[in-house]
Amino acid sequence: MSHLSGKAIDFPTVAGRWFLGALFVYTGLEKGLDPVAFLKLVRQYELVQSPFLLNSIAATLPWFEVFCGALLLAGIAVRGTALTLAGILIPFTAAVWHRALVLQGARAIPFCAVKFDCGCGTGEEFICRKLLENAGLILLALWLLGGRGRLLALRYSLSKGREP
Amino acid sequence: MLEAVLVMAAAAGFAFAANELSPRGLKLARDYFPSVAGPSHTAPKVTPADTHPASAHENSETAEIDQRIKGKGLQPIDRAETERLFHDPRYQQGLVVFVDARDEDHYAAGHIPGAYPLDRYHPEKDLAADLTPCENADQVVVYCTGGDCEDAEYTALLLRDTGVSIQKIFVYGGGFDEWSASQLPLEQGARDSGVAPVKSP
Repeated sequence: MSHLSGKAIDFPTVAGRWFLGALFVYTGLEKGLDPVAFLKLVRQYELVQSPFLLNSIAATLPWFEVFCGALLLAGIAVRGTALTLAGILIPFTAAVWHRALVLQGARAIPFCAVKFDCGCGTGEEFICRKLLENAGLILLALWLLGGRGRLLALRYSLSKGREP
Repeated sequence: MLEAVLVMAAAAGFAFAANELSPRGLKLARDYFPSVAGPSHTAPKVTPADTHPASAHENSETAEIDQRIKGKGLQPIDRAETERLFHDPRYQQGLVVFVDARDEDHYAAGHIPGAYPLDRYHPEKDLAADLTPCENADQVVVYCTGGDCEDAEYTALLLRDTGVSIQKIFVYGGGFDEWSASQLPLEQGARDSGVAPVKSP
């Protein structure tokens, strides 16, 4: 009985895991199926000077996201995947913020009025909304790091074998 | 932490494999945005009798685009001049050539009639077939979507780097968006298909 109630309590976290996984699969496919468009967007950030590094980011990041999203959906290596996604989300959110500051300066408009396609797979968005969304995704990834969302997971942890 | 490292390694392997297998995948070693330095960095002088590169601008956006094109050592050309070249009898003789620098989906949906397709991100598809007409032409007009699109400029640089004289290459900065908005002739599907796109009511 306590096991069942534990599962019931766990369900919102499982839903969060599925949401995060589905979102990364969707946005990853949006970018991965049109790598040229994503390449142009990544280039605007001026993160790297080397063409090889620029191409590598644009060519692989979307499929990296798809893979991690699929792991979350299936419930495989959940904490490792959540940590990986948080490790992607945090620096890229900082990069999006920096890019928005540059655009704000160039357009001389309020920060929250800045709207652009950040290459996040969701098209043009107002920056404040985008930052809030990303903050929510980072919190969700960190929430999953806490060992929750084991229900309906194929192999929650790689090291401990199949979870009940 | 170890699990995260394993996930990253597996995801990276999957990602590189997916890019390699995808027909739209990027070539990692290719420089898609080469520097403007080349055989002729300085924009050549244009003979007024031959063409009238954009000099009077209706707005600052056009001026910005022209400045960007010139900054790459290329010659901008405006809509009126592009239209004049399109109707020039030399166009039918192959002495004026148009090159569409957008991807194949956009090209198939609609392009300037007779324009050669050249997707610079996948030049292996069309570059070999496009080179001869470009080399034989007196003037080569390259266009993409227009506005922020820089593909026409980089395609012009690609043509320059493969042997087409930069003296005869012109970049139409207004691009396809301006051309189609001006109700000028369009063609759908393959080059010289003669099929006009269906206009929305």
